[in-house]
Amino acid sequence: MVTMTRAKPLAPTETFVRAPARPLNTVLLATLGLLCIGILMMTSASVEIASSATGDAFYYFKRQAIFACIGLCAGGVTLALPLALWRRFSLLFMLGSFVLLIAVLVPGIGKTVNGSTRWIDLGLFDLQPSEPAKLFIVMFLADFLQRNYVEVRENWREFFIPLIIASAASILLQMEPDHGALVILFATTFCLLFLAGAKILRVLSLVVVAGAGFSWIAYNKAHVIARFTSFMDPWAEENVYGDGYQLAQSLIAFGRGEWFGTGLGQSIQKLYFLPEAHTDFVLAIIGEEFGLLGVAIVIGLFCVLVVRAFAIGRMAERKQSLFAAFFAYGLGLLFAGQTLINVGVNIGLLPTKGLTLPFLSYGGASLIMSCVMAAMLIRIQYETESLAAPAADKPSGLRG
Amino acid sequence: MTRFARLYDVVRTTWRLGAIGFGLCVCVAAVGWKVSTLQLAERDFLQGQGDSRAIRTKPIAANRGLIFDRNGEPLAVSTPVVSVSVNPSKLADSPDNIRRLANALDLNPEALVTKIQGQRNDPHLLVKRRLSPAEVAPLQAMRIPHVTFEDEYQRFYPQGEVAAHIVGFSNIDNVGQEGIELTYEEHLQGTPGRRQIIQDRRENIIEEIRTIETASDGGNIDLSIDFRLQNLAYKELKAEFTKRRAKSATLVMLDVETGEVLAMANQPSYNPNNKSNISDFGVLRNRAVTDVFEPGSTVKAFTIAAALESGVFEADTIIETSPGWMMVRGHTIQDIHNYGTLNVGKVITKSSNVGTSKIALEIGPEPIRDVLERVGLGQVTGTGFPGERGGLLPSPRRWSAIETATLSYGYGLSVTALQLAQAYSVIADGGIRKPVSLLKLSDDEVAALPRDRVLSASISAQVKEMLETVVDPRRGGSAREARVPFFKVAGKTGTAHVVGERGYEANLHNSLFAGMIPASDPKIVVVIVINEPKGDEHYGGQVAAPVFSRVASGAMRLLNIPPDDLPVSQSILSSGGDE
Repeated sequence: MVTMTRAKPLAPTETFVRAPARPLNTVLLATLGLLCIGILMMTSASVEIASSATGDAFYYFKRQAIFACIGLCAGGVTLALPLALWRRFSLLFMLGSFVLLIAVLVPGIGKTVNGSTRWIDLGLFDLQPSEPAKLFIVMFLADFLQRNYVEVRENWREFFIPLIIASAASILLQMEPDHGALVILFATTFCLLFLAGAKILRVLSLVVVAGAGFSWIAYNKAHVIARFTSFMDPWAEENVYGDGYQLAQSLIAFGRGEWFGTGLGQSIQKLYFLPEAHTDFVLAIIGEEFGLLGVAIVIGLFCVLVVRAFAIGRMAERKQSLFAAFFAYGLGLLFAGQTLINVGVNIGLLPTKGLTLPFLSYGGASLIMSCVMAAMLIRIQYETESLAAPAADKPSGLRG
Repeated sequence: MTRFARLYDVVRTTWRLGAIGFGLCVCVAAVGWKVSTLQLAERDFLQGQGDSRAIRTKPIAANRGLIFDRNGEPLAVSTPVVSVSVNPSKLADSPDNIRRLANALDLNPEALVTKIQGQRNDPHLLVKRRLSPAEVAPLQAMRIPHVTFEDEYQRFYPQGEVAAHIVGFSNIDNVGQEGIELTYEEHLQGTPGRRQIIQDRRENIIEEIRTIETASDGGNIDLSIDFRLQNLAYKELKAEFTKRRAKSATLVMLDVETGEVLAMANQPSYNPNNKSNISDFGVLRNRAVTDVFEPGSTVKAFTIAAALESGVFEADTIIETSPGWMMVRGHTIQDIHNYGTLNVGKVITKSSNVGTSKIALEIGPEPIRDVLERVGLGQVTGTGFPGERGGLLPSPRRWSAIETATLSYGYGLSVTALQLAQAYSVIADGGIRKPVSLLKLSDDEVAALPRDRVLSASISAQVKEMLETVVDPRRGGSAREARVPFFKVAGKTGTAHVVGERGYEANLHNSLFAGMIPASDPKIVVVIVINEPKGDEHYGGQVAAPVFSRVASGAMRLLNIPPDDLPVSQSILSSGGDE
């Protein structure tokens, strides 16, 4: 304001008009965009399998629409809750999610699909405890880092506590197994420690140790090795109808799409060639039916979401609201990790994992949690924007 | 407050945020590069891989050519049917789907499950063939995975057993097996086309892409058969066959003008639409061309022709046949009665073995054999019909007297019914021999027929006149049963002993009749062979001649041929009307 020169001074009414500024929230728009694309493409990918399996071509659409409504309601409620509430009970939420992670391993509670015990049947939908666990661990870490931002830099003890929490969750995830969530959780924890200012050497050495750990786990799992070799060369004779089958079919879907795709509903790969087309491989069907353009739009919307998360975190950091900042970074990293891994798997950059694409894949838990996370991001933005900007040279005290 | 100011400064985290942002940008760039590569650079390879899994080339069934009679009556037609196949290697592990399939097809579910699981290494198994499109429609709507449908054509023979031997039949793969279906297989077959389709992984057809090659249907065939005459001939032959409890029976009807076969019937016959209960495959034979027999007295017409040709005998040359038998080199040649003194014509009328033997011994065997060969006996007719046999004319280095004598009344040679009909058509057509045809001939083809004069017009006319006496009771003929009201008939009976294990069987006969009508200008020749009739009657004049009478009179009516033997009073009335 000071540096700007204006021809005429602002009228009082103009300042009033500017008050309800930015009526369109970018995060909200990106979220709704992804949600609409998701429901459309998930339906397109599932009609054939739904009609042959259940007799109702719109079986998955109806369920996903109900989940979306629940997700929007949950998001609305989340939007109304102050951040302070989450922060106050962040330990409780995290412990609750650990209980769920343990519960899913108890025989009779956990539901096993394709050799992985990742779900708890709630009747309407299957709850995947790793979804809330990721969120609530990140939320606790944001609170922890905010409270111990000095100690994290100085002491080993505070540096290790987040890692111990992540490792404890990882052991439980490893037992399911759910390696996708495990990788995302660890990557997010490292990034948060790094952003909180932990010493570079410590972070790097831990990355090396963690990398070695992952390799060791993978090396002892025959099916992980098989997936890895099939990922390296899905077209090899022994892979193309074996472990590399799904990836090969996914790549074919992209190849069919070219620039603008074959058109809505014209996918051939969804006709039983590509398994899990409506869950983990919905992006491949987008690539087939809407081509490079469709994939670019979806990835663009995710980029908007992640960039906004970092911008909001940055804004909160400038306003010295560190919980909000770390939480926003954490949410951004969760979205980024989840999306990158799913996309990477779809296009053959990463070995196949069972990981959903937020907002787009079929699945109640994933969709509802994604909505709640987006709502939290909007709430952070809202609360941060309403904070008074601190003077550059006179930082205000920590709140709360 | 101071704590924050001292230790936490925004600037210090900026580069860390930048580093993470940079890392994410690298990831996004990698994703963008990889997606572009897949969707643009590698699309040909990827689409090729996809197409090799989804696009299949399927045959388009070609319709097999139809077979008609000479008037366009269908004798063999094709109807569209659907065959149901499965892919056992994919379906074996879903027994519920197999049971659904079995229920829809009215098969035993458990048996089908066992069968499909037993062939779980095979990619293709035919489950049920030849369902009507209406039957299979509900099953197609069920869209059971790995169940495929192939369009085919099924052969149907509307006239059933009546025309079975000529038309023959094709097998379940529409390949001709017998008869005309086999003879003209290449012509009838047609060429299947090819089409490309997209199928899903469960082998359901999603989309027809294009037709690579249209199917070209097989050519039709018009047979020379006149179905009305065929039906009549079959009916009468069957009645006689049943009445006489014969072993087999054959009838051939030829068009004198063109050599076309108008009817060709055999007993026993079969239903070509349902061959499942055939135990004796002899019923499949078209005996008119595949079975040879000794023609017996029917040959005497040609013996007499040879006698007249030799110049030694005239029509009224006297031959002494008393006492009704003669000895030739220790063998007895016998007539039924002692006919006493006969002229050459009466030898035919009475069918005297002694008479023809004396003629033959007079003129020698070679002239007789020569005539027999000229009229086509003992040689394949050239119809190309599968299994046709040529028969045999004797050609010993030295003829013995008994061989010469027996040849004169039809032993020692073997012929088919079709050859005999062709030989009689030579007499009917004034000495002209033409090839016989099972196909309908166009007017041009008739005009271009090779017409070989093998007997002189006067000799064939004389023989024909002698043959008329055979059927004329007023002149003491032996085959009055062959008469046809209001028509003159010329013909000859024959009764030949059947060859058994120990030479000629005393009680087993072939009863024959070969005749032409109307005798004053013959239009058709009919040959009837009743093989081994049981009961008291076995002479050709008793067994075969009545069939001729009934078939010939019906044929005259169906062919609209005016009578040539109206009673005198009617002739007067009609000529009176003209005045």
